[in-house]
Amino acid sequence: MSDKITFKELVERIAQETSQSHTSANSFISELVELIEMGLKSGQPVSISGFGKFELRWMNERKGTHPQTGEEITIPGQNKVVFKPFKALRETVNSPFAHLESELAAKKVKSLPREVKPTETKASGSDESIENLIFERAIPPHLLETREANENLTTEAEPETTGNQSSLSGAFLTDAGGRRSSYTDESSVNIVHEKSSFNWSMAAAGILVMLAFLLFFFVTQRSGEPDSAAPQESIAEAPALFNEPETAPATDLSPPVPPEIEAVSSGSGEITSDEIQIRSGDSLWVLAERELGNPVLWPAIYELNRNSIENPNQLPVNFSIQIPRFSDTENLTKQERELVAEGYFSLYHWNLRNSPQEARYFLWVAGIFSEDLLSKHADEVREEDLAFALNR
Amino acid sequence: MNYKELIQKLSDRTGNSQTDTKKILGKTVSVITSQLADGEGVSIPHLGTFGTRMTNERKIYNPHFDDFIIVPEKRVVDFTQAADLKEKIRFQVSSDE
Repeated sequence: MSDKITFKELVERIAQETSQSHTSANSFISELVELIEMGLKSGQPVSISGFGKFELRWMNERKGTHPQTGEEITIPGQNKVVFKPFKALRETVNSPFAHLESELAAKKVKSLPREVKPTETKASGSDESIENLIFERAIPPHLLETREANENLTTEAEPETTGNQSSLSGAFLTDAGGRRSSYTDESSVNIVHEKSSFNWSMAAAGILVMLAFLLFFFVTQRSGEPDSAAPQESIAEAPALFNEPETAPATDLSPPVPPEIEAVSSGSGEITSDEIQIRSGDSLWVLAERELGNPVLWPAIYELNRNSIENPNQLPVNFSIQIPRFSDTENLTKQERELVAEGYFSLYHWNLRNSPQEARYFLWVAGIFSEDLLSKHADEVREEDLAFALNR
Repeated sequence: MNYKELIQKLSDRTGNSQTDTKKILGKTVSVITSQLADGEGVSIPHLGTFGTRMTNERKIYNPHFDDFIIVPEKRVVDFTQAADLKEKIRFQVSSDE
């Protein structure tokens, strides 16, 4: 215990502050002590407002050793005065250390066993998860550009809202930076993910957890559907798929940049389209990857089939769908870029209705594909989203 | 004995009005509190000694989260009863009223 002030000093200070004589301050404290003693003697606790409570506590009989002889003695049960400080006093006393806060000790990892099931991951047709993985490679050059341009914005982007749990496809997580890495919808938000090149082991772990979640989700979702072709297909793909989180950082750091999209080739005629059937396990993202060679272009498919697709996250199996035929996916014509932008724009509106918090990311990507379109539709979007899309 | 009773009896004994008593008691408390806030102690004869001490950082188990939580170190009030008070109340039968 540190420095103490004596009774005399205490009396002095009280006398000073209340402009009383020492004698009266002295007698005041004596009376106070006597009263406390009386109260305790009657067995009642004595409380002083703003300070604390004095009360008796019965200490049970216990064994001890005599401090001098060392022999064992029994200390009989007896009372003890305890002082319980009230909250105000506790807080004042602890104020120099009030900044310290409780924190979680080492977190128990519970979901580990579930994560390590590579074959099953795809078997369930977890579209979005594949999409997330693929995207890390398939990021188009112009997006990389924006990424660089926005390097300093990343810090601001970090305290993003947390996952929208109610979303249909339910792909969300927090990655190493605490930022949302994967969203209900794939592409635009994955670009955000793309940017966090730091701490990839954490990110990879996050993706694994997500895979496990999606597996669960799709098993429950699709248990009713006939799904015969999917398993074989999936086993073949699964190992490669599973390695991707680890290889992704490398690709990310030295991106295999395809030629510039920006160099828009002179507008060709109409965009042709084919009709194909949706297989089990397909999503717009997977279709874009398979048919167009770049998953980021998936909104173009959505745009062509806007009237028949109700939910871009869930495609009906055995359903015919129009696939646009782009002349060169790495080198889109202006028209094609606008189609993709239109698709993102439609998805923006779709998301406004279904998950408003994510909508702005679609608007942002739409702006990347075609700025004209963004300015053309400027009055149809929410102001804050437009600001987000333009400033990102 | 609650605060009101204490003030009542105290004003009877000292001859001050209840308002004054409250004021003086408030000052007393604030003097002791400021001492304790500085980490220093106050000893009051026949009652005991107020002081502060540090508690260690410790781990507690929170069954709700099924996890351990580290509670940081804290400074708490430490009261030691005076020896003569201890003798007086030692075998007092407490009644919970």
